Formats: sequence, structure tokens, C-alpha cells
Amino acid sequence: MPTIAVDAMGGDFAPEEVVKGVAQASLETDIQCTLVGDEAQIQAALDRVPYNPAHIAVRHAPDFISMEDDPKLALRHKRNASVLVAARLVSDGEADAVVTAGNTGAAVLACSQQFKTIHGVRKAALASVYPRQTEYPGQDQLALLLDVGATIRCDATDLVQFALMGSAYARHVSKVPSPRVALLNMGVEEGKGGDVLVSAHRRLRTIPGLNFIGNIEGNDLAKGKADVIVCEGLLGNVVLKLLEGLAEVVVDLAGTARRENWRWKLGFFVLANSFGRLRDLTDYTAYGGAPILGFEHLMIKSHGRSNARAITNAIKVAAKAVRDGVTREIAAAIERL
Amino acid sequence: MVLRRSMQRQRARLHPIVFRWDLDKTYLKSEFDSLRQLVRVPFEKAQDKVAVPGVGPLIKGLRETATQAGREVRVHFMSASPPQIAKAIRQKLALDGIEYDGIVFKNQLQHLVRGRFRNLREQVGFKLTELLKSRPDMPAGAREVLFGDDWESDPIIYSLYADILAGRIASDELGDVLRTIGVDPRLIAEARERAAAAQREEAVEKIYINLERRTPPTMFRCFGPRLVPTFNYFQTAACLFEDGYLTLPAVVRVAEAMVQDAGYTPGSLANSLADIARRGHVQATTATAVREYLRVRALMPPSGRRSIRSVLWQRLKPWLKPKRGSAAPRAEAIDYHALVTHWRAAR
Repeated sequence: MPTIAVDAMGGDFAPEEVVKGVAQASLETDIQCTLVGDEAQIQAALDRVPYNPAHIAVRHAPDFISMEDDPKLALRHKRNASVLVAARLVSDGEADAVVTAGNTGAAVLACSQQFKTIHGVRKAALASVYPRQTEYPGQDQLALLLDVGATIRCDATDLVQFALMGSAYARHVSKVPSPRVALLNMGVEEGKGGDVLVSAHRRLRTIPGLNFIGNIEGNDLAKGKADVIVCEGLLGNVVLKLLEGLAEVVVDLAGTARRENWRWKLGFFVLANSFGRLRDLTDYTAYGGAPILGFEHLMIKSHGRSNARAITNAIKVAAKAVRDGVTREIAAAIERL
Repeated sequence: MVLRRSMQRQRARLHPIVFRWDLDKTYLKSEFDSLRQLVRVPFEKAQDKVAVPGVGPLIKGLRETATQAGREVRVHFMSASPPQIAKAIRQKLALDGIEYDGIVFKNQLQHLVRGRFRNLREQVGFKLTELLKSRPDMPAGAREVLFGDDWESDPIIYSLYADILAGRIASDELGDVLRTIGVDPRLIAEARERAAAAQREEAVEKIYINLERRTPPTMFRCFGPRLVPTFNYFQTAACLFEDGYLTLPAVVRVAEAMVQDAGYTPGSLANSLADIARRGHVQATTATAVREYLRVRALMPPSGRRSIRSVLWQRLKPWLKPKRGSAAPRAEAIDYHALVTHWRAAR
């Protein structure tokens, strides 16, 4: 059974919600978790919830990096920050993957400091899942979008590598046998989007074994046409935040309208099931987190506002990725390139 | 610390010791969460009954350790199950090779016939009066260690019993508390009578609660340090070793049973030990002694490569952050009225 190092001090609701999530995982699964952070705070939080001590270890880390900290500076000065110690446990072979809900920049930097990049990989990618329409029964309701913020700007080679990494991850974790990979662009035509995207398109088309379906536009993102969408970090991050914000606005508008008059209330009652489904689909707590791909080891970056459920799911995703050898699969795909 | 442990062992040699065990969910993994399971219990044969992992070697180890020290030892069981299943239970204990000196069952049929339906589910009155009833039969000056679980009211029953013997709870207060709990007035009268007759002594040394329901440990803080909630019998064994009631070879046998019967690994045993140490129920030095002894026997993971800072921190931690000791529980008064209200509300 894999061992997952969990950054207990990362996230808006740490350590309580993180510890609660680990405690829940200890009751539901056989996954071994190592909680990394202030031992006294961790134990105090553990004492308040049901848990199975056989599946939980605690590693003391006196420092932590807050959401406001500058990642570079913080990692330089806080050598025993929880996220760094958690990553160190993996590089020392005491754990197999890391889960953190803390500062994204610090998480990516901790990976680059502690983990080796997969041979041939130039830049890491932060991947995220988002809900989309399904085209056939049994199709995964989630698509994978990468990069969503690990790298600001990319060249064609980076995008090609992201496509291979995303495809390998989706094949194992989302159980899509031959994931359809698309490039996010401003048009479906091959020549759109500038040199980088044109070059990436040309190279992706020639890779054997990769199910590349071409370019995809923003309005097709939610339609389920592709399983893996590739873009540079800046664009990916904007898209992801836009989707999150849009879902929140829709649910919020519905709530406000319901309070306005009885007709809206009635309408809301009729559509309640659909709104509930929309909320469930956009509920990040159900998906666990975003994997940071490109390193020999895996780190799952959960949402900063993660609650216990999100952490439990992130641990399950990490364990599944370790069990399925996702990083080995990525390495093999890059080597074939 | 060494001096204190030596004193504990000295004390352990002086007094006879009684280990009292609840049966269901403490010794036996009784399943009666549903009506179907409840109906099945009376028809279960001895070989169908399953003991909680590690409990058998633990009881044997307690008797063996006390006997080796030349100390008079008794093991008693108490069950809220009806005497109709006594035969299967006795056979099960025989199958497991458990020697015991007494076993009490609850006569549910009698309550049913007399129409005392409330008494069928209510355990506090029954168990408390049975404990008080049997106390005069114990050897003079006997110390007691009590074992229960978190399913019903064992923490309250055992704490009341300990405080009655220690003279910390007055007869009127006892009556009020038992009334609040909803105990049958006849049993309240009997409990008060027996409490008044009981010899005043600090007889109960520890109360171990098996967290079968995984109740959060913080729920038990109101019972004071005398009560130790443990998630498995390996944790209990580590505490009993610290108190001088078990030897390290006996702790090893408990650990081996956990591996064999419950799929524990060296890693999960190490995690369990670290947890009970973090919760302050065993000293860091005791945990280290257990860890090293088990490591030689491949029951703990090999010590990994660790940084100098980490090793130093582990060495210095017991000195910098002294933890609450387990061996000398404070004889503090418990506010039973508040406790009963809090306990019931929380559950």
C-alpha cells in the first residue's frame, strides 16, 4: 500500500481540515499517510476526530509556508517548512507521493528542489480536472487541463511534452483507454495561434500512439470533445479560474433570483435538481486535486480552500497514481518521443 | 523516570492485582449492530466467536507477568449478555486458553419476566452493582485494572466504581448521578448500600477503553488521566508495560497476534506506538524501549536514514516537551453530573 506524505499545514483550513481528511482516509482505506507539520497541532486536531492510528504517522516540521509568502524566499529561509519536509520524505524513499493544499508556487518549487525531473522533460506542468458534457454513456465527466500555472510561458516542445504527460495520466487515473488530446487555440485550423502553437500542432500530429484531435476553441472546452486539453500555464490558469467563477456566479444568481419573488422560487424548485447537479459537478472537493507532472515523483496540489473531503479524495488520487505507476508511464512516453 | 518505574514495579509486587474485563466489544468482536446480528448471537457456537486481535496474548501476558513477580492475580469477566449463552462463552475462553477466576452474566430473562424492560438495555446499574458486590471477595488490598470499550457506558461505570472505592463520591451524589442516567431505583438503592459498605482505598489503578467505535480520544479527557483510550491492544500492551504489568516478551506476543490476526504490518505497529506516545499515555523512553525490542524481532520497520537535526530533535523532545506520564494518574474529582450530560449529548 502506498505511503502518502500530507502537508498538514498547507491550505486555508489547515491543519484541522487536512488532519480530518487524513483521519477519514485512515478509516476508509489502507493507505498509509504521514502528516507533516507541527506535531502538537496535528495531534490536537487528531484527538478531536475518529481515526485509525495504524495508518497515520506524524513527522514534525516546525515551519510552514503561508498563502501570502513569496515561494522562493520562503523556501530559502524555511528549510523545515512542512511542504519541503513532505517532499523530502518522498525523495528519501519514506513516502511515495505528496498531497498539499498550500501555496502553489511553493509546492512546484519544493518539487523542483527535491524531485528529479523525468529524463527529457524540460518543464513541469500542473494539471487540473474540470467538468464537461459527456458524449456517450460511461464517459468520464471530467477532462484534464494542463498546464494551469506551473509554467507561465512555453514553447512547442513543452506543449508536446505536456500532451504526452496528460495523456499518460488520463489513461491511468481517468481510465480513458485512448484519451483524445487537443491544443487550446483561438481557432480549429492548423495555422492558427502563432508559431509556437502551429509548431506544436505539427509535431503532435506525428506522434504514434497519441490520439491527437487537433485544436479546440474555448467554446468547446465544456462540450466533452477532448479528454486532455493542452495549453501554457498563464492561459490554463485563466481558463480554470473562469470556469470556477462562472459556476459560482450561476449558483449565486439562482439563489438571489429565488429570493426575489414566488415565480422565481417556483422555477428554482423545479430546477433544483439541475442546480444541485451543477454544484456537484463544479465541486472541487470531489476531485481531490491537481497533479504536478513531469517529476519522477508525484505531488497532488489540492485547492487552497480544501476541506476534509477534498483532502481524502486527493490522498486516494495520489495512491491510485502511485499504484498505477503514472510517473513511470510518463517517463516511457517521453522516452519514445 | 527510572526511579519512578522502579517504584511502580515495587508497588506492583506488593499488592494482589485484579484484571476485570468486559466481554462484548472488549474481549469478543461481538456484532450486534443490526437486529439480525443480535438474533444470531445466542445461536453462535464457541468456534464462531471471534476475539478482538491481541486480547488473548494480552490477558495471558498479564497473568504470566504477575505470577512471575510472585504477585497474586485474578482475571474476571463481566458481560451484559444473558446466562443462556454462557456455555458458548466459557467454551470460547477455553479454546483461547484463557484462565479466569470469575465471570458474571446479566439475567435478562428475569428482567423480561418481571416486566423491567428498561433494565434490558440499561447497563450502568447492573455492572456497577456487580463490581461493588464482588469487591469484598477480592484479596485484601487488591489493586484493579479495568478493561472496557466505547460502545456503551464502560467509562462512566468504571470511573464511578473507582471513585466510590476511593471515597471521592458521596452516597447522595451517587444516587443523583444514577437517577440522571436512568438506573432502576432498586439498583440505585443496592449500589448506594454496597458503596457505603465498601472499604475506602485507591484500588483502581487504570481504566483502559478499547476504541472499537473509533470515538475521538478527546471525548475521554473529562474522565481524567486514569482512563486511557486505546485504538488497539498493542497500544494497551505498551501502556501496561510502562506500568510494570507486562514484560517486553509479552508485548511482542501481542504484536505478533496483531500481525497474524489483524493484518498489522511493522509500519502500522510503529504508527500505533507513536500515536499512544504522542497522546502522552506512554513516555518517550518507554516507546523507544518497545520499538527497539520489537525492531530486533522484525516487528518494527528498520530505522531509516535520518538527518542529524531529526535525530537530535527526537532525543531532546522528551526533555524539552515533557509529556503527561501515564503511571501516576491524578486522583482528581470528576463532576459526574456534568460528565453524564456531556457524554450523553456527545453520543
